[in-house]
Amino acid sequence: MTYEAGQELPPLERRIGLADMIAYAGATWDWYRLHYDPEFVARQKLPAPVVDGQVFGALLVEQIQDWLGPRCFVHKLDFSFKALVFAEETVRCEGTVTEVGDDYLVLEQRVVVVGADGGVDRVAAGPAHARVLLGTPDGPGATSGTHSGTHSASGEAGAK
Amino acid sequence: MTLLTDDIRALVGRRKVYTAPEEFGAASGRYFGLAIGDHNPLYSDPEYARAQGLSGVTAPPTLICETNQYANLPLTPDGDAGHNWGIEIAGTRKVRGGNSYTFHRRIRPEDVITATWEIADATEKTTRSGSEMLIITSRATYTDQHGEVLAENEETIIFVSLEPGASGAGA
Repeated sequence: MTYEAGQELPPLERRIGLADMIAYAGATWDWYRLHYDPEFVARQKLPAPVVDGQVFGALLVEQIQDWLGPRCFVHKLDFSFKALVFAEETVRCEGTVTEVGDDYLVLEQRVVVVGADGGVDRVAAGPAHARVLLGTPDGPGATSGTHSGTHSASGEAGAK
Repeated sequence: MTLLTDDIRALVGRRKVYTAPEEFGAASGRYFGLAIGDHNPLYSDPEYARAQGLSGVTAPPTLICETNQYANLPLTPDGDAGHNWGIEIAGTRKVRGGNSYTFHRRIRPEDVITATWEIADATEKTTRSGSEMLIITSRATYTDQHGEVLAENEETIIFVSLEPGASGAGA
């Protein structure tokens, strides 16, 4: 597969229901009531339980890995929060290739809330930037599945 | 009145270290994948994962930065059981700014995570509408039981003054 700047990533769309949010709370050991408790949410004067924004990072990685396959490694990812997302809303991850190297790609992504017409209602997180290594499935810090006990984190020269 | 008080400045450099009481476990990654709807077999099928060059199943990369599993902290009445600096500033609204992750290698079920949190910076800015805001930047470094760095997570928490020019601050 060849890549070029300007190329769009296949979008990833996900409706986030209350049951998904409760599952996420359990999976992250984060049971903050803002994410599922209607009475707590009402006291905060919010219309519905709030999706934990950190899940957007997980969805951005999923979008990358679904596209590039299991031998890519997301080395760096950053994102800024822009708007709250509420239970039962649908989000969409969008992305574009901004730089192509011999063994890496740089991507710009964002997470949007999908409106009733399928368009963008608002940006939930963005801009996001990812640096993805190609052909490095276990990451640059891996030691072939064994622990030497002496390895230190290897920074990428020229990393974003 | 400034939000960036001497008390706040004094927080920079503060550290907290948490070491998980047990291995990360294969179920944690598989459960997280299920919860977010990511059915990548790297998180559930050891043979598939090994065929891709891994030593076995792994977890979705961001999980290490999202989970409180390692912290082993008691549950608060609000349901929080994660790392928290306990910074409360009267007359402000606390919002998340963003995260910047660096991943060094994929998580393995046998990893025993240590998370070292540090307050890296505290700065003050003014919003477009004239409200003061204080930006606290924290950095977490995640290592395994051999001291290998697995991931780093820089996150910003923003305290926005509710009334322009009428804020008071204290750690």
